[in-house]
Amino acid sequence: MPSGVPILETREINKTFGRVIANKSISVRLFQGEIVAILGENGAGKTTLMNMLFGLYRPDSGQILIDGVLVQLDSPRAAIARGLGMVHQHFMLVPTLTVTQNVILGEEPVRWGHVQYGKARRSVADLSRRYGLAVDPDARLENLSVGLQQRVEILKALYRRARILILDEPTAVLTPAEVEELFAVLKRLAESGTSIIIITHKLEEVKRLSGRVYVLRRGELAGERRTEVTGAAELANLMVGRDVVLEVRRPASRPSAQPILRAENLRARSLRGVAALRDVSLSVGHGEIVGVAGVEGNGQRELCEVVSGLAQPDSGSILFKGNDVTRWSVRRRLDAGMGYVPQDRRGEGLILPFTVAENLALGRSDVPPLSRGGLLDPAAMRARGKGLMEAYDIRAEGPDALASTLSGGNQQKVVLAREFSRSPAFLLISQPTRGLDVGAIEFIYRRILGLREEGAAILLVSMELDELFALSDRIAVLQRGEVVFESAASATNDAEVGAHMIGGRAERSAS
Amino acid sequence: MKLSPAPRILVIAAIALGAPAALLCLASYFWGLWFLLLSLVLIVIERRLSLGAQAFTAAVRRALARAAIPVGGIASALLFGALIMALTGYDPIVSYKALFYGGLVRNWNVSVLNATPLIFTGLAVAFAFQGGLFNIGAEGQYYIGVMAATWLGLRLDLPPLVAIPVIYAAGAAMGAALNGIPALLKVRTGAHEVITTMMCAYAVRTLAPMFIRANGGDPAVTTHPGATDQVSQQVWLPLFKDFLPAANYRLHIGIIIAIACAFLVRFILMKTSLGYKIRAVGHNKVAARTAGISVGKITVASLLISGMLAALSGVTQDLGLDHRMFQDLNAGYGWNGISIALLARNNPLLIIFTALLWGVLDAGGQFMARTAQTPNAIIEIVKGTVLFLLLAEVIYEKIGGWLGRLLLRRFTRGRTGADA
Repeated sequence: MPSGVPILETREINKTFGRVIANKSISVRLFQGEIVAILGENGAGKTTLMNMLFGLYRPDSGQILIDGVLVQLDSPRAAIARGLGMVHQHFMLVPTLTVTQNVILGEEPVRWGHVQYGKARRSVADLSRRYGLAVDPDARLENLSVGLQQRVEILKALYRRARILILDEPTAVLTPAEVEELFAVLKRLAESGTSIIIITHKLEEVKRLSGRVYVLRRGELAGERRTEVTGAAELANLMVGRDVVLEVRRPASRPSAQPILRAENLRARSLRGVAALRDVSLSVGHGEIVGVAGVEGNGQRELCEVVSGLAQPDSGSILFKGNDVTRWSVRRRLDAGMGYVPQDRRGEGLILPFTVAENLALGRSDVPPLSRGGLLDPAAMRARGKGLMEAYDIRAEGPDALASTLSGGNQQKVVLAREFSRSPAFLLISQPTRGLDVGAIEFIYRRILGLREEGAAILLVSMELDELFALSDRIAVLQRGEVVFESAASATNDAEVGAHMIGGRAERSAS
Repeated sequence: MKLSPAPRILVIAAIALGAPAALLCLASYFWGLWFLLLSLVLIVIERRLSLGAQAFTAAVRRALARAAIPVGGIASALLFGALIMALTGYDPIVSYKALFYGGLVRNWNVSVLNATPLIFTGLAVAFAFQGGLFNIGAEGQYYIGVMAATWLGLRLDLPPLVAIPVIYAAGAAMGAALNGIPALLKVRTGAHEVITTMMCAYAVRTLAPMFIRANGGDPAVTTHPGATDQVSQQVWLPLFKDFLPAANYRLHIGIIIAIACAFLVRFILMKTSLGYKIRAVGHNKVAARTAGISVGKITVASLLISGMLAALSGVTQDLGLDHRMFQDLNAGYGWNGISIALLARNNPLLIIFTALLWGVLDAGGQFMARTAQTPNAIIEIVKGTVLFLLLAEVIYEKIGGWLGRLLLRRFTRGRTGADA
């Protein structure tokens, strides 16, 4: 039961990045020996908050208190000195070093300028015994499983005498068995007095592990609940929020006879070789938008790569207008009338050192009027750039402005303009509005719906439920690489979809 | 961009004046400088007229800001060189007088001769760079260019107007073929071109002695072992002296071919669909791939063209100056091409100037060593410092990441070793 002086407290913390509000007036408290969960969708501001606690960012305003004392955390070093430890989602470990070497890196016990490996080994072995974190101190890190590597991260924090442990999405990379072991370790740590914050978007973990939960939504604190007295449905509502659904007038959908694009039994593996798509089948019809919902990392990336032609599936096929395009190159698919708006506009969509006009010509530099006989026609490129800039309300100094100088919304409009201007029969759009302001979002929604009116089949991959409900005719939920739920958008609601996204299916149908 | 008639006439006049003036300057007719300056003034006037007062001032300010870094870098490097000279007991003022008098006036023709092959290899490295690739093996492609030119030059019996283009084409083809190996390895297996182009370069260099022995350098039959026979005079490049009598007797028109090549490379990169795709891949492979550009094909094209350019360097040097292949060539033009490309930030037209700078420093350095007895090594220090100061950014961005990983691996291996 929380009582006394909180070991860690934030008061009215604010943080903005440019025009994006990452954290708005966030106040949370953590007491000794307690496990608190911070729950929220992607981009809700969880990681920003934790990075401020760990000294990686400085809050614009607000206070951080440790043991009731106001502190300034200017660097991770300062945070560590105050007893904070962080286990990042992506481990900060050196694969070629041993466990002991990794744990002591930066805090080596030194005598006469010589690292005392023997002493270090003993203290690491001692720590792992005391907290039940069984791991061989001499093993090389690259030979350890992901679960054991995570233990090394925890050991690293404990070795630096962390009293407060922050774990960012700790189960994202673990197998179910490893998750069980992690939970046991965390509970043991809490019993021995360590205070723990876990960041997650999985309801099940919140219920099993934490005593209290803070829910973040769009940078704000949507609520605080005792885990015993709340349910998955309430948490999902808090997390998703009903009040912010963007209203877009969407003409009624017309069921179409024949699908333009069919994905059948797709199986694919992620870059790390883990099964990422397990038997995914989807179809998108003429003039239809199918939304793919899901928490990030549940196979969306692989689905996009396979459908766009950037990667080959292990098995299964993709049919476009009745042709099997599974083995076609990206170029051939584009020429046939398929389009792709990738999720990362800066990394995948645009060439930032190129001008707007050059970016708009990307992939069309071989075709008249932009080039003739292998020679570019800069005037035609610029004219086309100007035209598309007007049509898509791209605000830049001119077609010769570098793409890197544009705001996020305008960069996204450049990518959309390029793909839309091909008049594709099928368009795959991933995360079209991530990080954009409301004005740009509204414009982009109207253009997507306009393309649908023209009869294009659109597959929309998004992690934002608002967006999916604003645009989609049908919604499919991707979880752990499987389509676990599919329904007409009008026949479902965000709470139901949200529950399927986080795997609370059984509970939802029971309540 | 529409030009009104007055500026257009100015542009034409500037080019009509500037090109021959540049030629005269290269041939040591220093009064050509006045016309070059006049041509520059015309260009400034044209810019002022077509941009308007405000934009013109802004453009001038931008140009000055952009020039400040390289000029400052070169000046600091020279100061650093002066410091070293002062510390080691040489007179910096006397030495630098000799350096610049030698490099820019007295032996200017040597500077131009030095710069010619460097322009080609610089272009080769820069072209690959634009496509996001490191062609570290320009040295090897240079060698294969020399071999191709020597082999054909010893055998072809055709009029010069046919023979020289044929030799150039053959050299280019050989350079492309040599770089085809790393290109294919890269596309098929992902082998990094830094390693493979360098390995090819060493392989080709070891072929040189055999080639020389087979083409007239056999110690059993010749008094000049270590060099091939001289190629037929028919395929020698024309000399400046043929039309500018006061030009140095060794100065050949290779420099004109090199400068033309720089303009051609710029044209390919900026004005053709192929160049556009190469730059797109160079800047962002993922985005290029997503937009339907075949990264593999573009990678091969970049490396092949890069190999051609480096081979042309060897062909030009052979037909223009050496007329044979030497055993201890040790030219280093390929390696220096990397410095020159980096220094010019891979801008083809700037490469003409950075190559000339290198040429001047080399020629002037020799002159300095002869007249002021200041060791030539100072020049290498100055060159290294220029590179270091101007490229810190590039080094950190590109090579740094690669080198950093390599060092980290070595460092960590050392640590584990100590532990065991």
